[in-house]
Amino acid sequence: MCLFRLNSIFLYHINFIRMALVSDLTTKVLFETEKGYSYQCDLTNSIIINFVDTVSSYKIHDFLIFQKKVNNVDILNMLYDLSDQSDAQLIETTKRNFSRNLTICEIVQLRELLNGTKFTLNLHSMLCNILNADLV
Amino acid sequence: MKDLLRTSTSLVEGVQNILNLQAKIESDASNKYLAMAAWLDRNGFENTASYLYKQAEEEREHFLKIFRYITDMGGIAVTPSVPEVQQEFASFREVFEIALQNEIAVTHAINKVIAKCRAENDYATEDFMMWYVAEQREEEKNARRALELFELINENEATGKFELDVQIAKIGE
Repeated sequence: MCLFRLNSIFLYHINFIRMALVSDLTTKVLFETEKGYSYQCDLTNSIIINFVDTVSSYKIHDFLIFQKKVNNVDILNMLYDLSDQSDAQLIETTKRNFSRNLTICEIVQLRELLNGTKFTLNLHSMLCNILNADLV
Repeated sequence: MKDLLRTSTSLVEGVQNILNLQAKIESDASNKYLAMAAWLDRNGFENTASYLYKQAEEEREHFLKIFRYITDMGGIAVTPSVPEVQQEFASFREVFEIALQNEIAVTHAINKVIAKCRAENDYATEDFMMWYVAEQREEEKNARRALELFELINENEATGKFELDVQIAKIGE
């Protein structure tokens, strides 16, 4: 009986923590598109990207390098190149936590997600700067 | 929510980009001096070749100083690509004419970095870049002095080129 009660309390707490985490997550979603979303994890100081069910986590520098890399893909060249190998491109990030062959369409969608995330990070930083300046 | 951008670096993106560009300009300048030194060496101007080899090393130090500053400030330093540089020159004098033009271009680039720092209120980077302002003043003065020596010593006379080779190498001593 006692064991059952302890188990109930444990489950209640687990659910409470899970709910708190989900609630925390929803407040820290940075950007969302049809193909994925991104959020900030303050516990690990990282940006988590969920793109077409591929989840990858980045430290801020790695995220910025990844975003730049995706933006630098020469899409026009891929469009005009009629060879099969130009239909998709391997996109890999530092430490290889994202490694996928993406089609032109997917690259554009990933760009949208990453650029939106970067925009939110910049906006947040700008707001923090202004709010902190008022506090001083 | 934490401000991850600001906590990771004190450089704003615009300043970081222009510093990376400046690092590339300094790295390119080092390669240009290296090509000039090699040309001088090939053509028998040993003293000025040594002088420009030293200049090439100095420019590389300037490049590394900026490169390390970017990483020290938590930014992302981008290793510059190595472009083709001019390998052949029409004359002894042309080498130093091009050297002065390069120094003037570097000075303009440094001024742009400082203007950007002021626009972004980045006084730490501005303070860091002031060292380059003083350095460029010296570099331009030396490059101008080299051309001045061409006016004073006639390179077409018997020992003109030999004397120029000796005197230019003494600049800045």
